[in-house]
Amino acid sequence: MEGMFYSTQEVWTWWIAIYLFLGGLGGAAVVISIMTNMYYRTHKELILWANISSFIMLSVGSLLLFLHLLHHIAVINVLNPMVLINKPDAWISWGTQFIVWMMVWSMVYTFPYLLESPFWSRMPIVGSILKLFGWAGQLSLKFHKIIGWLAIINAVGTVLYTGLLLQSFPAVALWHNPGVPLLFIVSAFSTAFAFLLLVLYLFIDREEDHVIKVFYERTDVILISVELLIIFVFFHFTTYGLESARHTASLLWENMGWIIGFIGFGLLVPFFIELKGVTTGWKSPAPIVLAAVLVLVGGYLLRHYFMYAGVYERPYPAQHEFAPGGHVELDKLQTQKPVSG
Amino acid sequence: MAAHYAMVIDLNTCVGCNACMAACAMENQTPVWANRWRTYVHDLEVTSGFLEDQIRRRFFPRLCNHCDNPPCMSVCPTGATHKLENGIVMVDDDLCMGCRACAMACPYDARFDVTYDDLKEGETFYGSLHFRTSPSVDKCSFCSHRVMRGLKPACVETCVGYSRMFGDLNDPADPVAKIVASGVAKPLMSHLGTRPNVFYISDLERAT
Ligand code: SF4
Ligand code: SF4
Repeated sequence: MEGMFYSTQEVWTWWIAIYLFLGGLGGAAVVISIMTNMYYRTHKELILWANISSFIMLSVGSLLLFLHLLHHIAVINVLNPMVLINKPDAWISWGTQFIVWMMVWSMVYTFPYLLESPFWSRMPIVGSILKLFGWAGQLSLKFHKIIGWLAIINAVGTVLYTGLLLQSFPAVALWHNPGVPLLFIVSAFSTAFAFLLLVLYLFIDREEDHVIKVFYERTDVILISVELLIIFVFFHFTTYGLESARHTASLLWENMGWIIGFIGFGLLVPFFIELKGVTTGWKSPAPIVLAAVLVLVGGYLLRHYFMYAGVYERPYPAQHEFAPGGHVELDKLQTQKPVSG
Repeated sequence: MAAHYAMVIDLNTCVGCNACMAACAMENQTPVWANRWRTYVHDLEVTSGFLEDQIRRRFFPRLCNHCDNPPCMSVCPTGATHKLENGIVMVDDDLCMGCRACAMACPYDARFDVTYDDLKEGETFYGSLHFRTSPSVDKCSFCSHRVMRGLKPACVETCVGYSRMFGDLNDPADPVAKIVASGVAKPLMSHLGTRPNVFYISDLERAT
């Protein structure tokens, strides 16, 4: 019937990218660390580092989301577990519950190790509080595997949610496809392996962890290659796909931050560093540490550009284009072309 | 059978007077000081598919389309966004936490913020009649409070060009139902599967 307008949004920006990044990273770190501890090598320190960091990450991410709510008190409506019965179709309902219960069960799983840890038990005030809950540690150990699996299930849900959230927005071709959850899951696990490698190299640094480090590096190389393949699929999809996807292509594939920052330094460079690490090896841990940092930065950049490059197609300009203070790169994003209808 | 409300907008007769915007703003107390409206009339230049060198001026009113398959409702985690039996999609501002997932999901960009600051500003702007108490995401409600009393939405009531028509799709005798059934009025972006209940009569088809 009429010409169409193409524009991005200004509602969910960098802070949602951080939320999605920390959610995916934190969730995947819980899965990997508990799996490692239960089925590969018992490693209490890794559990402490991974699960406490994950708790902090999810708290920061959720706080960012909370601060950006328009009506803070009403958040109680999604914290209530009944939300899964009342609104099972909304991914935010599932995501909120997954995040809350992942945080709870991963901390319950970690608790016995927290009690044993000299660092925490000797800490003033915290140490004395922990002593009061010795019984809780015993109880947790009694059901440790079940609790571990409860944490894992909720953590997998959290990782999945970060991708499915974007998929539920039908007007944006870049987001509304099953490639997004897949990409975000692979990226989340890749960043989590990178984060745990950093922990193992920089903070725990034990000789006997060599086997875990090698396993993590190998898995990360595989994950980065899968991520590169998915990115190629997105390149094809955006370049030759629907009109709004093609507008996304002009935002992504002409952007040096995306090409050099994310694909170059966030994927290719760490891929080759880690590949050399698992094939011929490095004399010092420095290159792997560098690769892990790059993977983490890349993980954020992926979500950052994904949020900014989601292009909507509409029969009129977007609200932020005519709202005061709103801006739009008209020459880039707005086209009017005759279409039949 | 319950009513199923819909709106037809004739782009040939909209004169761009913006009376509908003003009527809606007063009726629903939208934060006009921040240029946020439940309905907005765009002043656009468009070209015809057949006569590409001919540029036409188009006044294009936009509002919530009260979709029958509303993506804004399925993403809403609190249940604030819900659909009434009569087809009107509503936001319960007490339940809404303002996560804006609905605004992201709406293909028609029909939703906007009402913030804590807007509530304060509203007290000054709308004076003692101000009724908003909660910040939330807001959008057109087809003036459901008027429709329940047998009245038309404020924008329809005030439209000088008779561009906006409101009616019941379940009543075959209703002029709106007849126009929609005739196929002359079409929904926006129906390929998305949202099944909108706002239909537009094209000005270009009349022109060519
Ligand atoms: S137009 Fe947007 S806000 Fe209105 S019902 Fe459809 S999706 Fe929801
Ligand atoms: S902003 Fe309100 S109405 Fe919209 S999805 Fe969130 S809770 Fe629901």
